[in-house]
Amino acid sequence: MSLEMLGKLVADGEADEARALAARLIAEGQGPLAMIESLTGTMAQVGDLFARLEIFLPEIMLAGEALTAVVQELGPALEKAGGRKSRGRVVLGVVKGDLHEIGKNIVKLILETSGFEVKDLGYNVDSLAFVKEAEAYGADFIGASSLMTTTMPRQKEIIEILKDKGLRDKFRVVIGGAPTSRMWAEQIGADLWCPDAKSAPDLLAGLLK
Amino acid sequence: MSYVSRCWEILERSKTGPIMDENDFLPKRFTPALKKLIREYDLKYDPATPCPSDEAMADRLFQAAVDLVVRVGYYNTDTHRIIQITPEEIREALYTAPRQYWVGGGRDARLFEHRMVEDRRPPFCILSPDITVDEKYHQSMCLAYLKEPLLDGLCGPILEETFGHLIESGGPTEISGCTQHIYNQKLAARLVGRPEVFMVAVGTAEHDSGQIAVSNEQWGVRKTDARLVGALTEFKTADTLLNRSLHYAQYGCHTGHLTGPIYGGWCLGSEGTAVTIAAYSLLGLVVHGATFNQHFPFHLNYGSNTTRELLWSIAMAGQALSRNTGLLYTSNGFANAGPMTRMLFLETAVHAMVSTVTGWHLWEMASTRNKYRNRATPLEARLGAEVGHAVARRGLTREQVNELASRLLAEYESMAADAPIGSEYHECYNPAKAVPTTEHLDLYKRVRDELAGLGLVFPY
Repeated sequence: MSLEMLGKLVADGEADEARALAARLIAEGQGPLAMIESLTGTMAQVGDLFARLEIFLPEIMLAGEALTAVVQELGPALEKAGGRKSRGRVVLGVVKGDLHEIGKNIVKLILETSGFEVKDLGYNVDSLAFVKEAEAYGADFIGASSLMTTTMPRQKEIIEILKDKGLRDKFRVVIGGAPTSRMWAEQIGADLWCPDAKSAPDLLAGLLK
Repeated sequence: MSYVSRCWEILERSKTGPIMDENDFLPKRFTPALKKLIREYDLKYDPATPCPSDEAMADRLFQAAVDLVVRVGYYNTDTHRIIQITPEEIREALYTAPRQYWVGGGRDARLFEHRMVEDRRPPFCILSPDITVDEKYHQSMCLAYLKEPLLDGLCGPILEETFGHLIESGGPTEISGCTQHIYNQKLAARLVGRPEVFMVAVGTAEHDSGQIAVSNEQWGVRKTDARLVGALTEFKTADTLLNRSLHYAQYGCHTGHLTGPIYGGWCLGSEGTAVTIAAYSLLGLVVHGATFNQHFPFHLNYGSNTTRELLWSIAMAGQALSRNTGLLYTSNGFANAGPMTRMLFLETAVHAMVSTVTGWHLWEMASTRNKYRNRATPLEARLGAEVGHAVARRGLTREQVNELASRLLAEYESMAADAPIGSEYHECYNPAKAVPTTEHLDLYKRVRDELAGLGLVFPY
């Protein structure tokens, strides 16, 4: 039994088996931080396969669930070892009036498996709710996705609410979604435009440097 | 039993069907069922054959689609319940569904009818830019499309602004934008002398209120026109969508069911995408009473459907539906490249020929992955319609189209990820007169000649 086997189980989306093996490895003295580091590498490989569509969305979702199961299993050991370092806290949602969430779900998965903590607000989220949830969660980022041109103005509305409440500097606002662009992000005063899910972790981390 | 009498039973099921957490519906119900059906019915994608002619597989694929609808149902995200459908209801709906409709009015009326595989009757051509456009170009673009000789129906460009205000879905600006949209489109039709031409309108409406606001026989969407009701990917609906189809039925216009199964997403690869397309046509008929289904399957990364993995899905789903139903369904092209590029013309030609020969009607052509404002023109749609007519009139076979498509794919497929975004409408057309520039027209003619050189015989 090895880290390599654990990585394979996670990549294959075998949550129960991965969780059981993780427990055994911990009992045998394997360090939890090394396990997480190894699995982060595994998920990067899974992410690359998905980016090339050599595997499909359900497969990467299952891998993400298996990783979550392992992280839950390692909880107490990780705590003892100083905890898993968070790369940032994100509240993420699809803006009001928009019912399309596949892109947002992929971003959530990629961020979580890259070490971000994500609170998923779902879809059709009121602009004020983004702000309230970000405050309550102690978020570093507000991530707002839109798939329709007629819902893009809601991304601007979030920024306007932040300004009106004197909170604009407290959160980095990140936008994305098929019809959005860098130009739109600049026009509405967003901090970042994410062109795709894969680039999200590095782009977000770059904003915190 | 017509949709209007059936719809209340459907709406009731939306409140009483099995309850399920939305987060579980796709990973635990939809995808596992689809995966199993692909195995059960032995469906296999062959990248060497973008336009396959395996009729036995097409028939198996149709049965897989029926089973998918029956096993999975349609999820209502507002009630968190599953609308379940029985095989008997599908059979009844297929038996009673008309194989043809007259659409549009008066002298502009057209017959929209079921097509067979390798049918010599040309496809019904709905032309559309499918994109958003600056307010100042909206009417011009409507005019430009309506000037197209092979146009049977128009779906106009989408407004983002109305009298200088950004249109917000669900808000008053959307109502105003939708009214402006239909006025522009109807005025354009009158100006070009096609006052009662068939329209699918209005794309500016994202919310049900926008659609309902423009139902009007005098100035708005008429009963001889159609409107769309979308599905949420995959196999999900919502009250705002059910509101639409009920309103369309009660108003008396035609309903089109708009679906975009995602290759690489919850419906997996080419096989799953094909099954899902066919299944959506059944859902459109049974749940929404659709006159026709409007499908735009697309690649998760590219947002297009002109590469071989998507062409295969389109071809197989088309044959499955053509051979096993009398339904009407349009194939909506989504290209990678933008206007006034050779690549966009080639992508359009391939999409149109594969769709036409496998029983589809055409809906051409979303360019530049349907992402950039103002990036669409009628010339690529014209080429798509001309290719459709050429394939049908000359009686091309699937094998012949497969060979042609394979040759053309070799010209552009490797550029899918980094396709050129081309030019905007006002750079390719004179917006004042709604006519193409010489440069744009010359490029179109060169590509048309190129296609003719490969053996495609255009009707004129």
